Amino acid sequence: MSKVELVIPDQEVVRTTEALAASGIFHQIPTAQTTIGMPSRGSNEWQTWTTDLVAVERRILFVMEELKIDEGAPPATPPHIIEPRVAERDIERLEHEAETPVRELEAARRRLTQLQKYVGQLAPIADLDIDLGTLRDLRYTFVMLGSIPAANIERLESSLEHVPFVLITLRHEGHLATVVLFGLQQDATVLNRAARSAYLNTLMPPEDYRGTPAQAIAALQAGIERTRQRISEYEMEIAHLQETRIRHLRHLLWRVRASHTLANTITGYDHLQHTYLVTGWVPRASLAWLEQVIAKVSDKVVIETLEPRQEDIGHIPASLKNPPFFSGFQGLVTTYGQPNYDELDPTPMMALTFPLVFGLMFGDVGHGLLLLLVGLLLAGRKIKALQGAAGFGVVVALCGAAAMVFGALYGSIFGFEDVFRAVWFRPLEKITDILLFAIIVGVLLISAGIIYNMVNAALNRRWGSMLFNRNGLAGLIFYWSLLGLGARVFGAAIPISGAILAIIGVLSGVGLTFAELFAHLVEGHRPLIEGDAGTYLALAFFELFETLISLFSNTLSYVRMGAFAVAHGALSLVVFIIAGVIGARGSVGYWIVVILGNLFVIGFEGMIVGIQTLRLEYYELFSKFFSGGGMPYRPLSLIPQAGKLNVPENAGG
Amino acid sequence: MIRSNVSAYAQVNATTRALYATLLTPETWRTLVQAGSFDALLGQLEKTAYGVYLKLDRQILTPRRTVYQLRWHLTQAYEKLIRLTPEPARQLIIQLWRLYEVDNLKATLRGVETGASWDEVRRLLSPMFRYVTLTNEHIQRMLASGSIVRAIERIRHTPYYETLVHAVERYETEKNLFPLEVALDLDYRRGLWQSIASLKGMDHEQALRLVGTSIDIDNLLWAIRYRVYHHLSVQEIINYTLPFGYQVQDADIRAVAEGADVVTIVKRIYPGIEGLDNAATQPGEEAPPQQRQLASIERALHRHTMQLCRGTFLGNPFHIGVQLAYLMLLEYELRDLIAIVEAKASQLPVERLAAIIDMEW
Repeated sequence: MSKVELVIPDQEVVRTTEALAASGIFHQIPTAQTTIGMPSRGSNEWQTWTTDLVAVERRILFVMEELKIDEGAPPATPPHIIEPRVAERDIERLEHEAETPVRELEAARRRLTQLQKYVGQLAPIADLDIDLGTLRDLRYTFVMLGSIPAANIERLESSLEHVPFVLITLRHEGHLATVVLFGLQQDATVLNRAARSAYLNTLMPPEDYRGTPAQAIAALQAGIERTRQRISEYEMEIAHLQETRIRHLRHLLWRVRASHTLANTITGYDHLQHTYLVTGWVPRASLAWLEQVIAKVSDKVVIETLEPRQEDIGHIPASLKNPPFFSGFQGLVTTYGQPNYDELDPTPMMALTFPLVFGLMFGDVGHGLLLLLVGLLLAGRKIKALQGAAGFGVVVALCGAAAMVFGALYGSIFGFEDVFRAVWFRPLEKITDILLFAIIVGVLLISAGIIYNMVNAALNRRWGSMLFNRNGLAGLIFYWSLLGLGARVFGAAIPISGAILAIIGVLSGVGLTFAELFAHLVEGHRPLIEGDAGTYLALAFFELFETLISLFSNTLSYVRMGAFAVAHGALSLVVFIIAGVIGARGSVGYWIVVILGNLFVIGFEGMIVGIQTLRLEYYELFSKFFSGGGMPYRPLSLIPQAGKLNVPENAGG
Repeated sequence: MIRSNVSAYAQVNATTRALYATLLTPETWRTLVQAGSFDALLGQLEKTAYGVYLKLDRQILTPRRTVYQLRWHLTQAYEKLIRLTPEPARQLIIQLWRLYEVDNLKATLRGVETGASWDEVRRLLSPMFRYVTLTNEHIQRMLASGSIVRAIERIRHTPYYETLVHAVERYETEKNLFPLEVALDLDYRRGLWQSIASLKGMDHEQALRLVGTSIDIDNLLWAIRYRVYHHLSVQEIINYTLPFGYQVQDADIRAVAEGADVVTIVKRIYPGIEGLDNAATQPGEEAPPQQRQLASIERALHRHTMQLCRGTFLGNPFHIGVQLAYLMLLEYELRDLIAIVEAKASQLPVERLAAIIDMEW
């Protein structure tokens, strides 16, 4: 990566930012990290742009929703920038176009519902030969026909305890009831207030609908027909608008979004009196091309290439270049941490070790086959709802394949251990052997982790760390000499004598004890030790002790791989014991228990083994060499992700 | 029955007791009330169970944001206890939790009416992310709708739609959110009452005693407020209150609505209640005597409920009462904390603040 600094005249800032975004290689650094160390002064104009464009975006989305238009896919090339006031004028016109038919449609729909309700309410009294007009103009009697939440009826009656009234329920519809309230005209005010407070919505048809209920119903039906016709006209008008405005609205939306991103980006630049200062990272190989791109835009923009300094270490963005096949493992790595620019990407190592560790713990040809099929199904993107998990499908498939291989070695298929001969041995029969094998795998993984760390240290020219760190050469020799001594104690045939191993162990131990001193010596740091010698010696001794303990515990941690291999066999055995209790071998009950038991083992134990594998990778392996404090390489782009406004919130707010 | 309750409530009771121990002590209340400034208050709050939610840049912690952050404590307590409480009592706690959803809905409707944006409204809401029917997306869509009628249409598939869509007719004629808010309040309490009724044995008894009392107090205070502040008619007061209750009967509500002496009624319902002898002459703001009396009654009733809640922690603990009591105490605690935050932000003198809060200090 090369660090570049651009000096952009005010009048060229938009075109240059567009070109930087279009190049797809420029990773902008926030102002706080700029080399000149000046505080951001931003431009108020661009901040206003940002605020105004957010408001315009909301308005566009609102009109799109009214016209039932979705956002569509982001454009392939960044659209041209639009000024907020131009966008405002545009959306205002579109809002005006959409407003009338949308509002009229809503009103017509409400009217239709209302008219249908009137018909429904009048239906029970359709055969009465009374003029509705007379009910409205009664001199001594108060009448109110309406709908009320059924739960409020009793309360309404109770509230009118001291007022003469009659409340008749005509019918119930869902949680609502149609009622007629009769009372004295002199109590109209009290009755009206009571009815209103009980949420009794009047249903008397408007005064236009006169005559008997039957006549009113006929008139209402005609009104319903007219309203339906109007609704269909408005719908057609909206459909026409949708058809003619869909491209325009989508284009405007993405222009506004791109402009918002551009304004937001410029707000983040350092601003001098007439120029902007922009700093960022570009892949070294693409530097010349970026210079050409900028030169095409303007000859007034100055680009300076800066050599990364000491303070840049840890802030250089890194892009992970793994084949798409590894995306699932890369996801697991970045969940732990983003690799630094100057350290090895652990994805390939994880892709190799994760399935191996999983398979060792979950060895069963049948269970592995099912996992493999599920993984292939996910990876093949056959199920639309699970397309997002395609990368994870590869992880599952590889774990399944590894489980099949170990299943063959262990002689297990769907828990049956008598179908074929174990190529190697059955973990349940040789528990000590499988635990020992797990430790050997653990030793190899820990050693690989230490070697990875040595390579990382060499890449960073931290020679002292590479040689004397507990996860460096001294640590590795110390570890292996202790392992050699341990193996001799247990009677293993080691071609190196105990005395030599002890001498190597002591020498590497001394290297570890005084690691800081030796590292400072090799790297030329002074003073050689911090603080007084007594404290240093005491700390050095305890650190050596801690190294010893942690190597021991790290190694023992891998015993769980063997333990899980045994547990897997034992759990399958339990399934068969239960199946045997339920029914004789071959009976329906027996097979139901075997199938359900196998599903349980795959789901429950598979999940636990997966978690344990992840734990071993993260805490026992990654901790040896992977710091994970890097910054992902994110080239500037003016096309933001869709739906960015709906960001979920968390407790930290 | 008791044995099954013991196993069902063992874990949730241990958790609730641990949470109960984190409630603010009288000493902490004293320190908070007497904090010299808003900044000093934040410093003190950071040392309490609320501290974890206040680990933000001081510049961000405006009074409004502070209140929002404090609410997280209640959110987490509810979510934890809902998760651990056995069925069917769990449903009651979920229903209690919905009160905040109703409040959020009311705040959103106010936001729609005033044309507020999501950014303006979000920090006024109670943070709710699990066990909800009204999501942040619903709220954003409501705010973007531009009108109350449209906003209601945008929550068509939530339990609030039917209630609001019927009440909106009154909003359209009166242009006032009051009918919508009352409809929501009444509907919510009906649901709560049904949740209590669905319980059995000790759970039912305890829920009735605690949540029933809380419903009673809301009902009584609504009736008094409608009379004192809104000057509603007897019929309206009755229709805007609940027909059920634990100790408060319909006759009590009617008596309040008809203008009877409120203190006498409250004393009759709760014979042992304290703090009502000089209700109308309590020190406080320069408010009319009736309103000062209402404030004193409210405070006395809240203190009475708090005593009930604290008493629940004595005796057999294997029932839903322990969880309900803790949550209700936490709600009172939060209510008083919010009062203190607002008081310190507006530099209200300590003696005026003391008259507002319910907690003993």
